Amino acid sequence: MDFKLRALLKSPWVFHLSTGSCNNCDIEILDCLTPRFDIERFGMVLAGSIKHADVLLVTGSCNRQSVERLKRLYEQMPKPCLVVAIGECSLSRGMFIHSYNCPKPLDKIIPVDVYIPGCPPKPEAIIAGVVKLIEKVGGTT
Amino acid sequence: MIYFGYLVTYGLLLTAVLGLLASWVDRKVTARVQYRVGPPVLQPFIDIVKLLGKETVIPAGASRALFLAAPVVGLASVILVATLLWVVSVHPGESFVGDLIVVLYLLTVPSMSIILGGFASGNPLASLGASREMKLVLAYELPFVLAAMVPVILSGLSIRLEDILSAQAQNGAVASSLSGFLALVVAVLCMQAKLGLVPFDIPEAETEIVSGPLIEFSGPGLAIYRLMKNMLLFALPFFLTILFLGGLRFDGVHLVYGVLKLVGLVALITVIRNTNPRVRIDQALRFFWGPVAALAVIAVGLALMGW
Amino acid sequence: MTSQGLTREGVLKDLEERFRDCIVEVFDKSPKRVFIEVKPEPLVRMANYLFKDLGARFNIASGLDTRSHIEILYHFTIEDLNLLISLRVKLDREHPAIDSLAPSFEAANWIEREMHELLGIDFNGHPDLRRLLLPDQWPEGVFPLRQDYEEWDPEAIRDRGV
Repeated sequence: MDFKLRALLKSPWVFHLSTGSCNNCDIEILDCLTPRFDIERFGMVLAGSIKHADVLLVTGSCNRQSVERLKRLYEQMPKPCLVVAIGECSLSRGMFIHSYNCPKPLDKIIPVDVYIPGCPPKPEAIIAGVVKLIEKVGGTT
Repeated sequence: MIYFGYLVTYGLLLTAVLGLLASWVDRKVTARVQYRVGPPVLQPFIDIVKLLGKETVIPAGASRALFLAAPVVGLASVILVATLLWVVSVHPGESFVGDLIVVLYLLTVPSMSIILGGFASGNPLASLGASREMKLVLAYELPFVLAAMVPVILSGLSIRLEDILSAQAQNGAVASSLSGFLALVVAVLCMQAKLGLVPFDIPEAETEIVSGPLIEFSGPGLAIYRLMKNMLLFALPFFLTILFLGGLRFDGVHLVYGVLKLVGLVALITVIRNTNPRVRIDQALRFFWGPVAALAVIAVGLALMGW
Repeated sequence: MTSQGLTREGVLKDLEERFRDCIVEVFDKSPKRVFIEVKPEPLVRMANYLFKDLGARFNIASGLDTRSHIEILYHFTIEDLNLLISLRVKLDREHPAIDSLAPSFEAANWIEREMHELLGIDFNGHPDLRRLLLPDQWPEGVFPLRQDYEEWDPEAIRDRGV
């Protein structure tokens, strides 16, 4: 199990899901793939299908319609897998905490491994969060 | 019986290592062209190891036996092709008559395994990708076989690969004659389509149908498919080198030339990959059955006349 | 009468003369913006006149829930004059109902569906008054954008957990 996780950390394939966001966090995630911040040097590739993915990047406050799809996608992801919550809306719904369409925060629906705060977080912050994820799961500090 | 030893060492292990290195060269050159730093050298190996550790999820509407067997069939055929090519290069006397035809037939099986896997998935996107792959195979097989006829004609109508090699050792590479050069151009275009790379990666178009026929494969199945594609990335340039560029010879400086030819073909594939948009399936059909097939027929005609 | 030879004052005077008994108040806010309050019944006639005869463009409609009543604003733009005309309609809070504009022009179809499910306004004559944005499990008769909306979901978590 430890060896599998270590291989997973060296080549995490990323699936990006927006559960009703304003798309600023999505633009910042896309920014990480551009030549300036290039996360392909860490082996991260955008996976097209959820069955090919290791890491689920979630943005957006989970509204009622996207929660069913989110749960279905999490079940379809082959384990072992990791979940990263990006942006204030997916951490605790941010300013939509009293909204009629967002009943629960993300970590009450699926287990989350790393939280990256910011509205939206800069690409440097996203990369720092990913490094913390690798250190936490890899067991070193 | 030499084949069995060659199968395991040359066919499987050496081709796998060289194929994964070739795919790393492809990714690194693509990254450099886009002003990025690319992945490290061991990245394709780590990808395969990681995929072997994930679980396999079989969709409910899929036919289980075909779903699990399709990648293995494709990998087996690529291993056989690689074994034959290495035997011809290293021990020229051990091969048999008609091995060129066997290689040409075996090279259609990887595409068949992708089609099988796509239709066995029970997903409409996968079926769409598999049907596009079928049309693409229809398109490029004809010019490919015609282009493979040119070295046969130029080496005195023999269908043994070692006769083609020895004719090139005496008279110079096939590609140095006019018909051979045209046939090499046709063969490079058909190779681009067979490998499923832009501009002909229609069945696996990422932005349109989300990985096409491979959409439902996960874990070890996907690892075997990726290994098959990467080994094909080595085996096809190797085949073209044997047919058109004089093959791989292991004496002294000719080894360096051989390696340069292989790397040059992979680099050519990468350059074409990075400078072209993707075409539609009807445009690809029209392209392969129009200009490319005409060019191949002209090459065969010129070869028959001796040029 | 097309809008090509018209000026802003000409349009406003023409509207005031033609619909004298339907208009309650005209609020001339700025050179670009005019609010015209109308009674609910002649709204369809006035909107048709603005859309078909004057050639104005229907932008959007907004619904409000104020303390005393529910009101709808219909925003029309006359682009040549750089003028945005908003028709304000005040409705009763208990049973808000008005004639639908969807048979007149197709652009009003979805915005009326949205106002129906979020504010509870009835549109008479709308061809297809289904749910547009809210999920299927949302209970009937609960209108989220009203001022007296209360949390009906027992599983909702509304604190930050700290």
